[in-house]
Amino acid sequence: MQSLAKEITDLWNARALLALMAVRDLKARHAGSAFGIAWLYVQPLLTIAAYFLVFDIVFKLRLGEGAPTRAVGAYLVVGMVPWLAFSDAVARGMNSLIDAGALLQKNPMPPVLFPARAVLSSAVVFLPLIVVLVPIYAPLHGFSAALLMLVPLMALAIITWCLLAYVFAILAAALRDVTQLVTFFLGVGVYLSPVLFPPNMFPAAMAWVLWLNPMTPTILGSQSIMLKGEVPGAEVWLAMVIWPVVLAVFLDRLISRSREQLIDWL
Amino acid sequence: MQPALTVSGLGKLYKLYDSPRARLRALITGRDTHRPHWVLNDVSFSLERGHCLGVIGVNGAGKSTLLKLIAGTLQPTTGRIERGGSGRVNAILELGAGFHPDFTGRENLRFAGALIGISVAELSQLENSIIAFAELEEAIDRPVKTYSSGMTVRLAFSLATAVEPDILIIDEALAVGDQHFQKKCVERIDAFRRNGCTILFCSHSQYHIRQLCDAALWLDAGHARLLGPVEMVLAAYESHVRRLDAQRATPGSPAQQRAASPAPLDPSRRASIRSVEIMPLGDGDPPLLLGDSLSVRVTAVTSQDERPHMMVMLELTSGPGITVVATHVDGVAPKRDPDGAWSATVTFPELPLHSGDYIVSAYLFDSQGIVLYDEWLHYARFLYMSPARLPGLVSLKHSWS
Repeated sequence: MQSLAKEITDLWNARALLALMAVRDLKARHAGSAFGIAWLYVQPLLTIAAYFLVFDIVFKLRLGEGAPTRAVGAYLVVGMVPWLAFSDAVARGMNSLIDAGALLQKNPMPPVLFPARAVLSSAVVFLPLIVVLVPIYAPLHGFSAALLMLVPLMALAIITWCLLAYVFAILAAALRDVTQLVTFFLGVGVYLSPVLFPPNMFPAAMAWVLWLNPMTPTILGSQSIMLKGEVPGAEVWLAMVIWPVVLAVFLDRLISRSREQLIDWL
Repeated sequence: MQPALTVSGLGKLYKLYDSPRARLRALITGRDTHRPHWVLNDVSFSLERGHCLGVIGVNGAGKSTLLKLIAGTLQPTTGRIERGGSGRVNAILELGAGFHPDFTGRENLRFAGALIGISVAELSQLENSIIAFAELEEAIDRPVKTYSSGMTVRLAFSLATAVEPDILIIDEALAVGDQHFQKKCVERIDAFRRNGCTILFCSHSQYHIRQLCDAALWLDAGHARLLGPVEMVLAAYESHVRRLDAQRATPGSPAQQRAASPAPLDPSRRASIRSVEIMPLGDGDPPLLLGDSLSVRVTAVTSQDERPHMMVMLELTSGPGITVVATHVDGVAPKRDPDGAWSATVTFPELPLHSGDYIVSAYLFDSQGIVLYDEWLHYARFLYMSPARLPGLVSLKHSWS
């Protein structure tokens, strides 16, 4: 794990630059618009509001037995916010190295900064939304202490996103077609997760497919915490740890095989 | 004293794959199927503090790769790079690469500064001097996309050289902005060197290499072909290039290829050559030089009463160079004509040349002889008939005993 350890040291040494890059990235997305950075938050907030309005207020859709809550809108939002964060972070992270090609070829800087910046700026946008949701959901279970478990849950999730984003960024540098494949999987992945349907609605024979989705444990965990006020089960925590470990081992290999050549591929 | 920069056994291997798919397969499975291609192989040298090394070579010889390896943007395959002292390295590889068009010049400075290791606190102290050097006081709070390309490179150069580095790496970046700013750039780099900054400089301009560098490195197909004093390396390189040219040129037409038409007068240039006359010439194409002495008169215009310097090069049209003379080297000042133009005439009495087809080039420099303002390469041809009856190039003064 030497290669990965060196990347982490590089990242830590350049943390001031990383912060500057994340702020600049966020500012650049809506540079020139009147509301500027506010749009980053307005867009997902409007999506959340639409879910509540359509499913819970207008149509009053209800989930069947075995779901963590009956209200479809409330159920959707709890899974959808982490999923949007994940898909935003991974998509941006995957393209980050290719986009930074000119910069990396002309400036001596660690490549790891770019996928890390992409994940960091996605987290800066989406984590506050989760915090906003807490007081909305907490009355369901009377502010359970299990809410504190959101902190380790999201921390593990963000580590996984970083690793996955860097893996895809390196693979995409080697072969551009990777971006097309990953974009497709990010599109259909939401159906292979418990975001839209509770796991008991999946055919029992297919349930294992859910666990191939790196976001399944995060979504199950946040549903358990937010909707029921319960600490997520051991299987969630186990999956939350296995994913980053497996990714870290794979990423370490990729880095040591590509380090010398990576910049030339961009 | 410890050298400022020591490079030993430096090599860079590019792995060539048949397709990007093979590259991905090698990345995932670890089974390599590449063909090796060494762009740089076993290059070693060391540089003292305050020395300037010029790197020359034809395109694709590995010059940029060497500079990128030392700058740290590329990782070497073999060898070591050791930097003495605090080891602050600044590379001017491409100016303005980190700028975002939607942000103002000031906002871009903050980020691009961080990229080259200038902290936000340090930058706020340097900001005014950076903006002043770039002469962008008016435009600094406008988005960079409203800048002309000249303004952008001015800001980028000013930032890149705002802090004096221990090692400065310059890749063909001396031609920045207009003539006035180019001069400031060259002066700043020269001042760095006098203060003890070590410089690596890659350029096709042999003139600038002669002016700035103490030593030169000739790279050929990734190998260090020759390393040593500038004149020695340039002479060997020039004769190599001339041989290559001779091999490429089709027999019978080299003269036509080399006798290029005069450089068109660019009205946006502030200083330019106006005429180059050879005297005394007779008829014919190319004309015949009359008599046994050659005079070349160069006339040029400059702005702001700047007294320029001029250089004249004499070559065989399809052969080696004969001589180069320059006013700043000979300590001569061009004269002002009544119409404001500057002129200088060089005369070679009793021309010691053998018969042949000769060609003259003229160059115009700034008042220090550093910045090249204009060049009329291979402008005028003439034939010379020498009384010498034996073959040769020049008639050397000689005595028998």
